[in-house]
Amino acid sequence: MAAPRRLFYRSETRFLLLGLPGVMFVVFFLLFPIVSVIVFSFWRTESYEIYADWNLDNYRTVLFEGTYLTFLWRSIVTAVVVTAACLVYAWPVAYFIAKYGGRYRLLLVLALAAPFFTGAVLRLSALQAIMGPIGVINMALGMFGLPAVEFLMFNKFASGIGIAYLYLPFMVTAIYLSLLNFNFQLLNVAKVNGARPWRAFLTVTWPLNWIGTAIGITLVFIPCLAESLTPTFLGGPSGKLYGSVLGLQFDQTGTWALGSAMGVLLFAVCCVVIAVMWWTIDLRRTGFTGAGR
Amino acid sequence: MTTSDRKTLLAAKAFNRRTVLKSGAAASAVGFTAKATGPFVRDAHAAELELRVLMWANYNVESTVTAFEQQHGVRFAPTYFDGNSEAFNKMKAGGTQDFDLVQADGHWPRTYHKQGLTQIVDPAKVPNLANAYPACVPPKYTLDQVEGGTDWVAIPNCWGGYGVTINTSMVDAADAESIEVLYNEKYKGHIITSARFEENIAETGILVADRMGTRDAARPDGKPFNPYVLTDEELEECKTWLIKQKGLLLTRYVEYDMVDRLMISGQAWMSPEWGITFRRLLAMHRNGELDWQARHVLKPTEGGLGWIDNWMISSGVEDAEKREICYAWINNFLSDENMLKVLREEGTSSVIDIRKHLTEIEIEDFLLNETEQISGLYMFDQPSSPEKWERVWSEVEAA
Repeated sequence: MAAPRRLFYRSETRFLLLGLPGVMFVVFFLLFPIVSVIVFSFWRTESYEIYADWNLDNYRTVLFEGTYLTFLWRSIVTAVVVTAACLVYAWPVAYFIAKYGGRYRLLLVLALAAPFFTGAVLRLSALQAIMGPIGVINMALGMFGLPAVEFLMFNKFASGIGIAYLYLPFMVTAIYLSLLNFNFQLLNVAKVNGARPWRAFLTVTWPLNWIGTAIGITLVFIPCLAESLTPTFLGGPSGKLYGSVLGLQFDQTGTWALGSAMGVLLFAVCCVVIAVMWWTIDLRRTGFTGAGR
Repeated sequence: MTTSDRKTLLAAKAFNRRTVLKSGAAASAVGFTAKATGPFVRDAHAAELELRVLMWANYNVESTVTAFEQQHGVRFAPTYFDGNSEAFNKMKAGGTQDFDLVQADGHWPRTYHKQGLTQIVDPAKVPNLANAYPACVPPKYTLDQVEGGTDWVAIPNCWGGYGVTINTSMVDAADAESIEVLYNEKYKGHIITSARFEENIAETGILVADRMGTRDAARPDGKPFNPYVLTDEELEECKTWLIKQKGLLLTRYVEYDMVDRLMISGQAWMSPEWGITFRRLLAMHRNGELDWQARHVLKPTEGGLGWIDNWMISSGVEDAEKREICYAWINNFLSDENMLKVLREEGTSSVIDIRKHLTEIEIEDFLLNETEQISGLYMFDQPSSPEKWERVWSEVEAA
């Protein structure tokens, strides 16, 4: 009986047992799909058939014909604007909860997940009911004899609101978790040394919580790049984003090879974003660890 | 200490964490050994047959499904799709092993069969089909048979068009007769269309071919005009029209409720759709809930799109018992009782003649005295080149 027990406690065995589930997950759910998509992207589709004719045509189409870059550009702009809006909105919310939430802090953070209690389509229908032509906002305006506002539905602005609504909780949670580790006494020290509130925020609070902010930015920016459902429901005829068109290749037109090339390009953009965010983080200033970068 | 106390103490000593774990392990081992070496007893849940169906969501009538499950001891497992291409894609991507039944309309059943995704079906095993309208079955309607043959590849169930539903208080009657109403500057901001690429391009294709004079001319493939088989010049012209239309659209809808909401609110004045919203609007008008009358132009002057929905049996169904269940479902679906529910609850016209159960108003609303119109419509089909159509649609969306 002793031998197997010793085997279990050997550090290599423990390392393998603990690491294996994670490795399997990465291999089966990340590497395999990515490798498949990369392989497909060099193949060809014709009338819903895929042929293993190795070529670069899909990349030529995606990178040089302009149409797909237009969608990518739209998605990048949307992601930048939505992420910036979420950042501005999330910081005060997270700060308030972390500093003044008291024993309700966890409850308040969990309440942010309330929109996720329902399905995505239902959430979008609810947004239509609020912002739509006969939604709550326009009905209220009508009651006061004011004309209905049209910019709230079926355009890029409406789509942006819908996406921000969807991903804001991620940003708030990431910043809140960072602020939990933050020593608010440092602000008093800054104040005693003559720093005004804004100066204290910019030189103490912001840099020491950059890791949470950076994680929040990443968690919002990357899904925004691939967002497809919200623009389809709220974006109107000119609001289609890269994710919507990517979905079209697989759901409807059967142009999987072209869709795969689009997927590889999106993956590359996401990798660049993650690399940039990683580069900006200095773990020595996070409060989480004393380790170097 | 009495004998009774001692027994209690002994029992307590015996009942500790270790004994519980030991007993549990022993019981598991015994159970496992008995399972491994004993006779095979089929799990009741595993014994239940599952009928896996790839279908349009609006045909899932709960009461019909429940009754069928109880009667045949099967579990009905539906998966929904929104367009023929989407379902075809699913079947191509290994769907023959995932689904027993699949639905498609127009020319699609032939395409499925040619690709080996579905099998030949026997209409004799669907007795309820005897009551079908002649316009919906051979010899008048032959798209459910293999091209040039008599074998059936699909069993029809419902029919309809993709006409334009109009708010008659806002749209001029003369304008409504043409597909061009959907591209008319006069109605800017009040036009909605489906988000599906095939029907947008095909419908525009009818208009374009009419304007270019190529609709009735000899076609490159030697066949009659089919809006799903367009020339490069026609596709290019479609792109121009669709880009122009974008500026006039309120939105493209992705669910039927959206059409209802926008039409009822008066924001949208017209929409190509399957007639479902039209019937709701008619009913509302009749009940005094809507002060304007809706009209559905099934066949505009240039021509219109139509469909007959069908059930097909996947080529993955090789088991005789499963095949019989498939036939039982199709026959059950075509029963008068279910067709009435589909018509009244889902707003779709049946290919089975159930007029004897309907009121005059229902017969009129569902155009059931006009089933012969089907032969005048262009049936839904697979785009001749999905690659070219995708490019056109993406360029329209990006413009």
